Amino acid sequence: MTVALARQPIHEDLHQSAVRQTLALARRSVLGRLRQPAALAPSFVFPLFFAALSASSYSRVKNAPGFPKVDSFLQFGLAAAVMQGAFFGATSAAADLAVDIEQGFWERLMTSPVHRTSIVIGRLMSSLVVGALQATVFMGFLAALGVRVRSGPIGIVSIVVSASLVSLAMSTLMSTFAIKTGSPEVVQGMFPLVFVLMFLSSTFMPRELMHGWFRHVVDVNPISYLAEGMRGFVIERELSGWRFFEAIAIPSIGCVLALLLCLRALRRRLAQM
Amino acid sequence: MRRFGDIVAVDGVDLAVQEGEIFGFLGPNGAGKSTTVRMLTTLLRPTGGRAVVAGFDVATHPAEVRKRIGVALQDAAIDPLMTGNELLDLQAVLYGIDRSRARLRAGELLERVGLTAAAHRRVGTYSGGMRRRLDLALALMHEPVVLFLDEPTTGLDPMSRLTLWEEVRYLNKELGTTVLLTTQYLEEADQLADRIAIIDNGRIVREGIPRELKAQVGAPTLLVAVPDEQRERAREVLVAFGDIRPTAEGTLGVGLRDGAEGIAMVVRSLDQAGIRLHRMELNEPSLDDVFAEATGHSLEGARSRLLEPAAGAPPTKGRRRRGGRK
Repeated sequence: MTVALARQPIHEDLHQSAVRQTLALARRSVLGRLRQPAALAPSFVFPLFFAALSASSYSRVKNAPGFPKVDSFLQFGLAAAVMQGAFFGATSAAADLAVDIEQGFWERLMTSPVHRTSIVIGRLMSSLVVGALQATVFMGFLAALGVRVRSGPIGIVSIVVSASLVSLAMSTLMSTFAIKTGSPEVVQGMFPLVFVLMFLSSTFMPRELMHGWFRHVVDVNPISYLAEGMRGFVIERELSGWRFFEAIAIPSIGCVLALLLCLRALRRRLAQM
Repeated sequence: MRRFGDIVAVDGVDLAVQEGEIFGFLGPNGAGKSTTVRMLTTLLRPTGGRAVVAGFDVATHPAEVRKRIGVALQDAAIDPLMTGNELLDLQAVLYGIDRSRARLRAGELLERVGLTAAAHRRVGTYSGGMRRRLDLALALMHEPVVLFLDEPTTGLDPMSRLTLWEEVRYLNKELGTTVLLTTQYLEEADQLADRIAIIDNGRIVREGIPRELKAQVGAPTLLVAVPDEQRERAREVLVAFGDIRPTAEGTLGVGLRDGAEGIAMVVRSLDQAGIRLHRMELNEPSLDDVFAEATGHSLEGARSRLLEPAAGAPPTKGRRRRGGRK
């Protein structure tokens, strides 16, 4: 089959840039998230609601032996709120990618000369931005309630960076399933599983208060280290290299591993076309 | 060719679309139109055979093909959260158009498709027709050599359909854009396409210029309404001018052997026989007749119904009359 020859050498002056394409697609994904306040609100409201509920229910737990020295349970719970927000945001970003596939925008992109990895990375950028925004809002809101980040400005910035990386890593991982299935329902359906993994970690309680098999599970759950790293910036005055490793390096490694999985899923999907 | 497991969706599609023409790809749902377009637009890899678009093989040089084609697929999948302007900006970046040129081009296209006033609004607020027009503008942003329109007017109201047809004609006549259009609407293919191919069950069953294809089907049908008591006598007169064809109740139909030129003779003969003529209507063969002749079933209306020629039906197989069509 033959469809028309070129009537002239076209578009010789067009220069596709993967960076420009990724940034343009990232802008679209961020705008898309911000323009859905009803979908965005739960990821801001629920973690704060959960933090307030925990603070009122477990206020006296902070006096238990082995519990870290904190001003309030709310201070202890700040990292948990940030983590929850990051996971909420990650789910939405991955679901947005699945919606693109389901509703045909993906095909629009596929018929254009856009770099294939830009499509995925651009889509995931919203989780990075929203993760940072959530962390900032949570810290600002809890600061108004008297919660201090003891490690100061460097700790605050580190929490924001960590939240972004956690959100990006999780959304990238979930995007693997979005690309495989093209189903927003499957991606949304994974959120309870993520939430269970959070409960099987030291996100909501310190490891020192846990025993038996539960403690073993928490010890091997990477989410425990993310939460403890982030929490370390909140409740410890001294900045330690270990906390940076937990809060920044681990999610960074997670991002790379998740991206490798995601790009593998992308290659497979493209090969099946 | 394209297989999905054991199912052969497209097979034996062998055609050449010439530069600067509007080519209509006509067929019912599931005939293989969209699968063919998806292969030509690099969305699906052919599992056999070869396809060349704008001088490049779709399997070996898909990136080159993508730079040269514009695609508006079914359902106009446009992000409802973005504005028209934002989507055109995005399209420009994806194709590597520099900012100043993109701005000019976007302005021209928005004006062309009548969306300048709505360009700052989110697409979610657009009507179906506005979305299709924006979809068209997006497909044209990089001045493609070949434009693929996959059922561009499905679901549109008549006014929006006419507007889109005008736009396609303009692109083709004024800008020389080659257009490959898939449609299940006979009128659309008839109105727009310089040439058409009819696809059924994944195979091309007819290809050519609509007028010639219709002429090949056979003579036009003259419908004659006469008083009931004179019907038998009228039939005896009409049979001298061609084969009697099945018609709606109350009329007689004859396939005019001499074409439209035979009408005067029919009128004279009926008059000489003393038959009172209530009404006459000449129906040229339609693309549906072409389709029916090629496949044995009709495309429009009862798509799945096999045609059963009534008693006294013409020798052409599967013919179905369509009153008042060109």
